[in-house]
Amino acid sequence: MKQTINIPLGSQHIALLEPVRFKFECENEKIIGVDSDVGFVHRGIERACTTKFKFDSIGYVVARVCGLCAITHSLSYTVAIEKLLGGEISKKAKYLRILLLELDRIHSHMLCLSHTCENAGFEAMFMRIMGDRELVMEIQELLTGNRVQFDYISIGGVNRDLNSTVALKIKENLYEVKQRVLGYMDEFTNNWSLSLKFKGIGALSLDDAYIFNAIGPLARASGLNIDVRNEIDYLPFDEVGFLMQTHSDGDINARNLVRLNEILNSILMCENIINGLPEGEIFTKIKGKPNGEAIVRFEAPRGELMYYVKGNGTAMLDRVRIKTPTFASIPAFSHIFVGQDYADAPAILASFDPCLSCTAK
Amino acid sequence: MFSSFAKAFTNLFKTPQTIDYPLTPIEQEKEHRGLIEYGQEACIYCLKCEKACPPGAILFVPVENPPENEKNKKGLKYHYNPYLCIYCSECVRACPKPDEALWQSNKKSLPATKEDRVNESWFELERLKKQTD
Repeated sequence: MKQTINIPLGSQHIALLEPVRFKFECENEKIIGVDSDVGFVHRGIERACTTKFKFDSIGYVVARVCGLCAITHSLSYTVAIEKLLGGEISKKAKYLRILLLELDRIHSHMLCLSHTCENAGFEAMFMRIMGDRELVMEIQELLTGNRVQFDYISIGGVNRDLNSTVALKIKENLYEVKQRVLGYMDEFTNNWSLSLKFKGIGALSLDDAYIFNAIGPLARASGLNIDVRNEIDYLPFDEVGFLMQTHSDGDINARNLVRLNEILNSILMCENIINGLPEGEIFTKIKGKPNGEAIVRFEAPRGELMYYVKGNGTAMLDRVRIKTPTFASIPAFSHIFVGQDYADAPAILASFDPCLSCTAK
Repeated sequence: MFSSFAKAFTNLFKTPQTIDYPLTPIEQEKEHRGLIEYGQEACIYCLKCEKACPPGAILFVPVENPPENEKNKKGLKYHYNPYLCIYCSECVRACPKPDEALWQSNKKSLPATKEDRVNESWFELERLKKQTD
């Protein structure tokens, strides 16, 4: 006789932001097997990139893959094309690109933290973080002209310059966000609902993180020193004060703390960029048609994002392949669930910060 | 515990983060990326904006009574679809006479009704464009 029971989570569930289906095989309360399906929001973007759009407009197409890390997608694609065309962009454009990338990381991490609070049953904290996230959304709108779809990056540089009033506003708002985040640090370490309840739940050991190829905050919370910002040279992350944030516990609480520390580091980087923004042009015209292959990696808020672009010397590309962070982390996700209580599953899932529209694209 | 009581008490006197929408209007950012506007007199009909537009929201289609402009030798008329536009302003950057012929405003597009025939009329224009190419 069968001893286990299958319980589905999703594809629509109160604890999920986006559609994903998990099938948990449970023995009493314990999960002993996981099966997942992530393809609910497939839109055929990779195919559209090679059949419908010319290479110079694909930067705007791939930005629509995901609303939270739109900037990382368009940036990765643009850098890949710049590599193929062989152009060099100005230092100021590079700094402005990092500025928006880090602002994007701050608001994405804040969304994840608020969602974690909601799943812990702490609605008031959820509202507080979402309210404070508006401070970041506001400066993103001032800088780029839109809240979510920034369309800020084009092949050869960036589309808008940073003027002094916007710079001042960014500094003011970031100072405010910093004070709030320091407040959250206290809540996330001392509040029972957010820290003690999460300690030891959904833990991933350092060895397992290595074996299951974990990336992003998930890996860094287990003590794995892995961050693409440390490894690439297309953007000068080392000049603006990037510091890797790691933790050794590997549980939900550790992931939350890594995200909080990353927000603080991103705020520091943004302040450094605004204080030391070099003079120069924001846009350099790059001519030609892409020919050959290029691979570009970037650190999205959820981990490593990889773009492979193949051109054939015409305006239409041969292939655009997107490997998203959530897709790469699925083996690690599935491993973490095994041995946990079913009741903890939504909280563990929220702590991964999965982005399904990225994964299904 | 005392700190959370103190926080709860101070929260009572805080102003709300939301606005009282219909009574208080939403603040419109000056630099908000909004609808693309067109100055017909200054246009030189180079069609660069049409080629640059990623979603194809600008079409120059030949009409019977074209707008009077000496540069308009092919008898074309400018058409813009605000519902297709992604407000990226690639067209403005491609335009040889920005601010006079084509510029970006901070206005938001209004919702359309069925009577406006937004899709059908645009598909007709696209068909017409394909025939002339």
